Amino acid sequence: MSAVTASSPPAPGGSRERADDRGRTGMSRGRKIGLSLFAFWVAGLAFFIAVFGFKSHKAPAVASGVFTPTNEFKLDTWFSVGPVNFNKGVLYVVLAAVITLWILFYTARRLKQRPGRLQAAIEMFYVLTSGMARENLDENLSRRYFPLIATLFVFILVSNLIGYIPLPVDSLDKFTLFGARLPSFQIYAADTNVAFPLILALMVFILFSWERLKAHHGPVGFLKSLMPAGISGPIKPMIFGIEVLSYLLRLVSLTVRLWANLLAGHMLIAFMGGELGVLVGDPWVQWLLFPAGIAIYLFEAVLIAGLQAFIFAVLTAIYLGDAVTSH
Amino acid sequence: MPATSPLPIAASGSFLILPNVGLMVWVLVIFVICWLLLRRYVFPVIGATLDRRAQSIASEIDAAERLRSEADQVLAEYRERLAEARSQADEIITRARQAGDAHQKEAVEAARAERERLLEQTRRDVEAETRRAIDEIRREVGNLTVLATEKVTRKVLTADDQRRLVEEALSEIDFSVLGGGEG
Repeated sequence: MSAVTASSPPAPGGSRERADDRGRTGMSRGRKIGLSLFAFWVAGLAFFIAVFGFKSHKAPAVASGVFTPTNEFKLDTWFSVGPVNFNKGVLYVVLAAVITLWILFYTARRLKQRPGRLQAAIEMFYVLTSGMARENLDENLSRRYFPLIATLFVFILVSNLIGYIPLPVDSLDKFTLFGARLPSFQIYAADTNVAFPLILALMVFILFSWERLKAHHGPVGFLKSLMPAGISGPIKPMIFGIEVLSYLLRLVSLTVRLWANLLAGHMLIAFMGGELGVLVGDPWVQWLLFPAGIAIYLFEAVLIAGLQAFIFAVLTAIYLGDAVTSH
Repeated sequence: MPATSPLPIAASGSFLILPNVGLMVWVLVIFVICWLLLRRYVFPVIGATLDRRAQSIASEIDAAERLRSEADQVLAEYRERLAEARSQADEIITRARQAGDAHQKEAVEAARAERERLLEQTRRDVEAETRRAIDEIRREVGNLTVLATEKVTRKVLTADDQRRLVEEALSEIDFSVLGGGEG
């Protein structure tokens, strides 16, 4: 990050003060900040190596195998109401729903002819998702499924984004504050549990299969529609098998794409942000990888969160469109 | 599994890939609630607002086009009138120039006629004056001739002698010089 800041070109038409500053020291402010951070990082590295050396200092929980990095993704039941369990995954889903509904209802109640920033963002989201629906579906289906596509996009996006805010939800690893035992802060996302993307993908899979069934007048037409046009001869059964497999794998690909991206992203942030150093027992490793942790955090929060929500929504639109147009 | 029990990574990882059925139900229920609420209360409102804005923009564009066509029409009319006014002005200038020319010609003609008239008058005056002068000279010459003859001959001349002498003397004098070559 510091390298990016340091190498960024000076703004055109910068102030005279800045130019004078650069003239005196021969260095831009960004470069100075970048170099200072780099020097701080190198000094910290030297400090940790000097104090702790290269010898491993594993914490007792790590040495005994009690601590495992994957435990932070474990859903610990907090309380149950009859057969219904409540855990942090549920909390994140509820949070995502509350935030989604609050933002959208708040905006919808205060829509103006001249939009503010929030309304402009919501309108942009609306135009984007209605464009997805219109481009892939006919008018009738687009009207019916646009709300689903838009809700999928915004719900997954909000779920992903709140997954980058540290919250005290790690009930398996508590800390004491003024005598109270509190859950540790962690960054967790409901879609790091395969249940979240799987149920959404299953719902989408059932919907587009139902549409295909309706569009092709029953199961025979459904199966025939999976066959690409122009295939004949002995290769036909093999192609049919591949097509059926590819159709079923849509469920897997929709699920795994979202789940694996989020899980891997959170794991990488955790490892680079210090967990690897804890596992190997070397404080200098934690310090060494910390900038990488920040970079991955930013990459995930800025790009992956939105991208995965967009991909899930657009693939839903494409699969629904394909269900009624394929022959 | 209790948090304090040993959890080797390989053995404990199964919860990472096995879906939590309870969470699936939660996600489905909450998502469907969101979907229905947004479909019923939010998306139609946003869509209507965007449609209204699009209509308002379209009507504004129409109004602007109408105004522009009106402005074009007014401009064309203005140009037409300007061209008309210019041609009228040209015509007026041409007519004025022609009138001026005619007036000038008349004035020149009148001046020339007046000059001719004055010249004629002057000529007549000069002729009359010349004639009067010649008569005067003729009378003086006659008297002088009579006086000279009386002194030479020492006798008084009769009226017939005087007349004859004057006529003889006058016949010898060329008065044409005094008349400017005309007498």
